[in-house]
Amino acid sequence: MTSLLLASRTVRRYRAQTVLAIVGVAVIGALLFDMLLLSRGLLLSFSDLLGRAGFDIRIVGGSGLAARLPIEGSASLIEAIRALPEVERVGAIRIQGATIGSPGKRPAAVTVIGATDAAEGAWTLVSGADLGSATAPCPLLVGRGLASALGVSPGSILELSIRPPAIRSVVPPVACQVVGVARFAFGASSDDTVATTLDAFHRANGEADPGDADLIVIASRPDAGSARAVAAIAAIRPGVRAYSNDQVVEQFNRNGFAYFRQISFVLSSLTMVFAFMLVATLLTVSVNQRLGEIAALRAIGIRRGSIASMLLWESALLVGAGGLLALPLGEALAIGLDRILRQMPGLPEQLHFFVFETRALIVHITVFVVTAIAAAAYPVWLTARLPIAETLRREVVG
Amino acid sequence: MLLTLFLLSSTVVLAAQPPSILISRQLAERAHLRVGDVVTFANDPEGTRRSQFRVAGIYEPTPDPMRFTSPRIEARMHLPDAIDVLDDPADPASREALSGINVALSDPAVARRFASDLSARAPGVVAQPTRPAREDDPFAVLERFHIAISAVTMVGGTAFLLALMVIRAEERRETVGVLRLVGISRRTLLCSVAVEGVLIAALGALFGVLLAVATEGLVNRIFQARYDTSLVFVRVTPSIAARAVAIAAPLGVIAGLGASWTLLRRSILSIVRR
Amino acid sequence: MTVIDVRDVSRIFPMPAGPVMALRGVSLTVSAGEHVAITGPSGCGKSTLLHLVGAVDTPTSGAILFEGRDLARLSEVERGNLRLTRIGFVFQRFFLLPMLSAAENVELPQAEAGVGAPERRARTRELLAYVGLEDRASHLPSQLSGGEMQRIAIARALANRPALLLADEPTGELDDRTSEHIANLFDRVNADGTAILVVTHNPALAIRASRRITMASGRMVE
Repeated sequence: MTSLLLASRTVRRYRAQTVLAIVGVAVIGALLFDMLLLSRGLLLSFSDLLGRAGFDIRIVGGSGLAARLPIEGSASLIEAIRALPEVERVGAIRIQGATIGSPGKRPAAVTVIGATDAAEGAWTLVSGADLGSATAPCPLLVGRGLASALGVSPGSILELSIRPPAIRSVVPPVACQVVGVARFAFGASSDDTVATTLDAFHRANGEADPGDADLIVIASRPDAGSARAVAAIAAIRPGVRAYSNDQVVEQFNRNGFAYFRQISFVLSSLTMVFAFMLVATLLTVSVNQRLGEIAALRAIGIRRGSIASMLLWESALLVGAGGLLALPLGEALAIGLDRILRQMPGLPEQLHFFVFETRALIVHITVFVVTAIAAAAYPVWLTARLPIAETLRREVVG
Repeated sequence: MLLTLFLLSSTVVLAAQPPSILISRQLAERAHLRVGDVVTFANDPEGTRRSQFRVAGIYEPTPDPMRFTSPRIEARMHLPDAIDVLDDPADPASREALSGINVALSDPAVARRFASDLSARAPGVVAQPTRPAREDDPFAVLERFHIAISAVTMVGGTAFLLALMVIRAEERRETVGVLRLVGISRRTLLCSVAVEGVLIAALGALFGVLLAVATEGLVNRIFQARYDTSLVFVRVTPSIAARAVAIAAPLGVIAGLGASWTLLRRSILSIVRR
Repeated sequence: MTVIDVRDVSRIFPMPAGPVMALRGVSLTVSAGEHVAITGPSGCGKSTLLHLVGAVDTPTSGAILFEGRDLARLSEVERGNLRLTRIGFVFQRFFLLPMLSAAENVELPQAEAGVGAPERRARTRELLAYVGLEDRASHLPSQLSGGEMQRIAIARALANRPALLLADEPTGELDDRTSEHIANLFDRVNADGTAILVVTHNPALAIRASRRITMASGRMVE
């Protein structure tokens, strides 16, 4: 005849309010779980996107990651970096606005990426072949959405016309062959991106000499690590803006993700308080409903501790069942909320706001355990202070 | 072109008065500057090409919700002065280059078309209206997100409300049973529950609105202090308050009626029997 | 042996409209195996006296000794233990736990007293048979009549073999015929050696007691 048995019988007896309370806790718990996923989801997703390409260091021109300027003397810098023992692989990337079209069709505005072989990894091949294996003088990888819109596939010929900045005249278009369709790691669903080799980019850009890279991507040796590699790069070119993936993530965490961190904190706190207040209210009202019963139990010798234990178990059952149900509900809700937030313009297609991590699950469980205990505190205190004789008298008169 | 800030606060009286600039409040606080101070700007960290300016005023930057986390360390100067500071002798085009051009149209309604035409006519120029289209507006997405969260919170709250109403109905079981025994109809009892429900739900909704208004100031103060901005984060407008009451009040009434109906639909004997 | 010794006990209830003296200098003893009935009009202090004797309330003045132990010197835990093992309570409104079966209600105080499961079940079967409800063991209180519920309540009160059974208007919600059954049961309990102190309006129940005390306005009148 344990307190758990009494508690489970009590919640079963008041079936309607138990089911409703569990549903309420589950819904609020789902929201709490989602806010926990949101608190670091964007960061984890962004970090994953960065790491997926296989590079852990990026060098940019300009004073930060947001502004994109050519890196001065990038060719010699790349050679010097390649020679570093901490470095495994170096790639150069140039990015420019351009137009692309098939004969007879209206040109579409695109972003063209020119990359060395070593920079492959910034995209995922969906069909066809990658740039490295292509023999065409101007091989092209086309983004999925763009390929679909233009009705092109591997083998199609497109005209690429790059628009160098601050130059009035337009460079004549270059015929390029589509060798593959790809998903670009940081491409938004609304963005139209194409990629080609750096050599083809130079030719299409009408350059006599290869220009400076806009982005240098580096993979450090596993035994060296990105921190050592960044230090080695800084040593050979002081003032160069080299950022490890961790530094990139940290900078975006401080600036770009601040809103979502704040809102997840605020909403997590609110839902916790909400859940606590609701369960505490429900339990208190339920105890008030049974005061006569509880006074009689005390009168026949059932200890305060046993009654407190019973109430704690009642709270645990309600909050526990609701909290468990909150997990699949939260996952489903996260899919919906993620779909809403990913409608933000310019957001990389593969970036997600809600990412599952074990830490979120542990925090969720901890919060619910604390809530169950805290919510039972006031009802337990009520029953501990219950004047037995007065309550019995009131029950008879009432 | 980036402006590297290299500041010297000096009280040196110059033979010629340096040009005036305005600095943001945040810059003034961080660099401990006052109106009248003379500061030095340079375009590079080494300060090889520097110019002096006099702080003519301190302004509060217009809050930008897209950049509220970035400290507004900024200054404003006349365009010719800015060109002189940012001039790169190695690049003849640097004196001709601008970061942006603001255009005020005589008819703002044609902004989108104007931007589209300009982009088509000037290769390399990106023209866009200051008020983005709904599909391009990140705040429209955030609004949908907040509405979704509100809807979920309401569902959870409604479940609890129903649970509480069921308990209240059960508490009154004896009273209800006796009333039914003496002949009071279900309809009369439901009407009385409805009236009670309207009063409680309306009062509760109003209380909720008042609580929101009371906490609005606190939330704004916390975030404004945290991010050193005058941006308003939470605003309870009459429309929002009306919407909250319009949703909460009927929910309360429906919950009360629903819970009471679970009791009233039973036979009288099963109500009065313990 | 004296089970209960009430010495000049008074109980004052502070009320917003002024203090109410529910008991005024009441003295009473109940010996082992005795059957005492307290009668009197409503509000005369009968139930208050019962609550004091049952250690669920404390007197404003005077002393109550249970088997020689002064209840005022006992801690709340000790009083609770007393109610669990030495006193059985029967209420006017039965107060059975509605979500437990008849047998489980009887087992409850035994479980609280730490009696092992096999022993508990055996004792419960014995008690249910004692009150004539062995075939209703698995029924919930809502499936029992008023008289049956009160018999289960009596079985529960006897679960830990108390020295004293306290009954507060045990037939208050029962008809005459059922009350008669309850009265018979009390006779049997008393005959088996348990002292009984019953508060009742019911003359048919009061007449079964070996000693009858009448109260009025907080005092014993005979």
